[in-house]
Amino acid sequence: MKRALGLYAACIYAFLHVPLLVLAVFSFNRSRFSTWGGFSLDWYAAIARDPTLREATANSLLIAVVSTVLATVVGTAASYAMWKRKSPLVSGALYASLVTPEIVTGVSLLAFYQWIFHYVHLQLGLWTVILAHVAFSIAFVVIVVNSRLKSFDATLEEAAMDLGATEWEAFWRVTLPSILPGVIAAALLAFTVSIDDYVITSFVAGVDSQTLPMVIYGMARRGVNPSVNAISTLIVTALGVLILVSERLQRVRE
Amino acid sequence: MNRRTFLMAVAGAAGCSSGGTLRLNVLNWSEYIAPDTIANFAREFDAQVRYGTFESVEEMLAKVATGNSGWDVVICTNNYIQPLSQAGLAVPLRHDWIPNAANLAARYQRPPWDPDLRWSIPYLCTSTGIISNSTIAPEPASWASFWEDRYHRRATMLDDPNEVIGACLLRFGHPLNSVDPAHLRQARDAAVDVKRLIRAYINAEGKDQVVAGDVMVAQMWSTTAQLAIDANSKLRFALPAEGYPLSCDNAVVLKESRRVELAHRFIDYVLRPQVGAGIAAAVKATTPNARAFELLPPAVKSSAALYPAADVLARGQWFEPLPPEGQRQRDRVWTEIKSA
Amino acid sequence: MSRLRTLFLLPGAVTMVLLFAVPLAIVFIYSLLTRGAYFGLGPPWTLDNYARVWDPLYAGVLWRSLVEAGLASFICLVLGFPLALFISQAGPRKNLYLNLVMLPFWTSFLVRLYAWIFLLRDTGLVNTVLQNLGLIHEPLPMLYNDGAVMLGLVYGHLPFMVLPLYATLERLDRNLLEASADLGARPWTTLALVTLPLCRPGIIAGTVLVFIPALGAYLVPDLLGGGKSIMIGNVVQNQFTTARDWPFGAALSFAVMAVVLILMAVLARRGGEDLA
Repeated sequence: MKRALGLYAACIYAFLHVPLLVLAVFSFNRSRFSTWGGFSLDWYAAIARDPTLREATANSLLIAVVSTVLATVVGTAASYAMWKRKSPLVSGALYASLVTPEIVTGVSLLAFYQWIFHYVHLQLGLWTVILAHVAFSIAFVVIVVNSRLKSFDATLEEAAMDLGATEWEAFWRVTLPSILPGVIAAALLAFTVSIDDYVITSFVAGVDSQTLPMVIYGMARRGVNPSVNAISTLIVTALGVLILVSERLQRVRE
Repeated sequence: MNRRTFLMAVAGAAGCSSGGTLRLNVLNWSEYIAPDTIANFAREFDAQVRYGTFESVEEMLAKVATGNSGWDVVICTNNYIQPLSQAGLAVPLRHDWIPNAANLAARYQRPPWDPDLRWSIPYLCTSTGIISNSTIAPEPASWASFWEDRYHRRATMLDDPNEVIGACLLRFGHPLNSVDPAHLRQARDAAVDVKRLIRAYINAEGKDQVVAGDVMVAQMWSTTAQLAIDANSKLRFALPAEGYPLSCDNAVVLKESRRVELAHRFIDYVLRPQVGAGIAAAVKATTPNARAFELLPPAVKSSAALYPAADVLARGQWFEPLPPEGQRQRDRVWTEIKSA
Repeated sequence: MSRLRTLFLLPGAVTMVLLFAVPLAIVFIYSLLTRGAYFGLGPPWTLDNYARVWDPLYAGVLWRSLVEAGLASFICLVLGFPLALFISQAGPRKNLYLNLVMLPFWTSFLVRLYAWIFLLRDTGLVNTVLQNLGLIHEPLPMLYNDGAVMLGLVYGHLPFMVLPLYATLERLDRNLLEASADLGARPWTTLALVTLPLCRPGIIAGTVLVFIPALGAYLVPDLLGGGKSIMIGNVVQNQFTTARDWPFGAALSFAVMAVVLILMAVLARRGGEDLA
């Protein structure tokens, strides 16, 4: 059973990663089209010369990290509060936000910001994007954390409080450590939906806040673009190395 | 820069940009400028240029229509120039700041969408035609070709309602911009009928499969087609006999701009023959600039896709703004075609 | 009630009101207005947009989208459950394996879809390999059909299923599983009678997280389906873009949202499960 499961997992990983392999191979293609034209590093040189890409990457990472942290903290807290006692209004709003089509979220936030800007002299920028990302990723966080909380034994917390822990201590020392894998999974999900969002971002981004998906979308909407393949390969490689290193460090510590 | 702006915004101090070098914000279609245009302009005018791109006119309009988008110059397709100016979003151009407008070809000095160039200056133009692989004979040169069985699953059309409905209308000799319900019904039936022969509805990204030979015939924009032809010499481009759509992208200065003069200088800059030729050669689109055309490499100049002969050019029809009821009908027709 | 709970709920509640409810209310107002001549919108007030929603044309598209999204969720569950089980049993490596599931999703979806097009098309990798091996003589039509759309939907949403499943499986009490085995249950019996019921919250969360985005998908039907069939996400997208009919787009969105929320509520009640 265990070996069969491992083999199966390998197949699914292949399914998920084969497109990345294709991207990586074509990032070294001399030709602009998806027919092999010989090995070349031209596209990497091209992106190294492109300041828009560097800036957009920095923007995207900043937006994703800040909005993930905010959404995870706010979402986990809300999820815990609703686990203690239901709040039909908040959970209703969360589900409604999940079923709202992306473009409607984008349009509604743009309208909302413009309305605010009538009274406050501000303009669209990174902060409008970050707030938008927090708004749409909270629901993802709550759903994942909630599914974990459901299988958490409430009596553990009561036991802690019977032993003299305050409510906060019971949460911090007992509940949170126990639901942490769920929180991490939720944060991963929030990061994922933020880093690749195009539709909502394109509505609320200002003059100074082009993100990587916006730039990539612009370059790729006209068809396969080797520079885009090169950036994608670089990002995946960098993040892949990061994952491996953190894994190594964790094991060394243990 | 960005993070600083961000922190300023958080501190509630954004909006009051400091002095120093001039700033200009330009919003254009993606992949629609030469790699060095912006940098050269910034150097010459000692300006800081923020260059942004959009993927659809609607995306651009959604922002610009708020009147507080932050952009100074936007590139806008000809059928939106009138709506944009009527909505009070554009400034009337000061031609004394754009002497290079004289470089425009006669045809673009008085374009139908803005006869006095009061609101807009033509930037680049495209047309829609048929690209085909020369292994297919005879060469498909009319919209009616799409209904021939021999292209079964080897043909693609554009994923754009005005283009698909337009091609069907033109096929039956109706005007490109018709909103006559009878015309639209006929076009819809024809479009639904041809769907079984069509491999897919794809836009510019389809050029890849045309180059690779998966697709033999495709409805395509001249700009995309020229890029494909450059990559595969077996490809050729025809502007259909029944007539074909033309469109032109124009530079507009927004009413909200606080740097109107620099915005004009930018438009004047891209009208310089050298600069305009550089852009047209890089993008592979048709330049409306007669003096820039003179400077183009011979290979580009002789492209039949971008610079067709006068009699072919005469067959082209410009996209026009449509009345709301007509737009609504066309959208329903499009949904019917796509869900058939 | 407890002060801590209020304190914990407050930031989420404020965010949802300010950044979701109020903006959505503005769009609701849009849905009661009339489209402008070319873009934008304005008076007169009207219910006309909601009347147009009843057009059977849109109901047909919605129905097909519901079926496709439902099927995609089911396939994701079947494919994702064993993977989540594998990760949750991977001991110290589980974070690594979890991250490996997410890694592809940190690059643009659009770009990954192009990679799939390259794999599936007539002159693509799969057909070329099969032809060179002599297994087929004519390229298989794998792109631009319903199968390709389903593949894209599953590929694009699988992690949304795996994450919540992992979150519940990870804390599954191993003693229960061992007890089941000690009592003579075969692995499959344990799976069906113990594991699956215990991770029901994860299954529900995962299904919701796949179903909803899959329902609103527009890139997959466009790129892998070749735009030959549309989902409700495309119709909504169209109203806000090429059709420039924001009031109708807003009305249509509210109608779709209502259908989905009611559907979820009914399913939740029948399953005796509260969603949040």
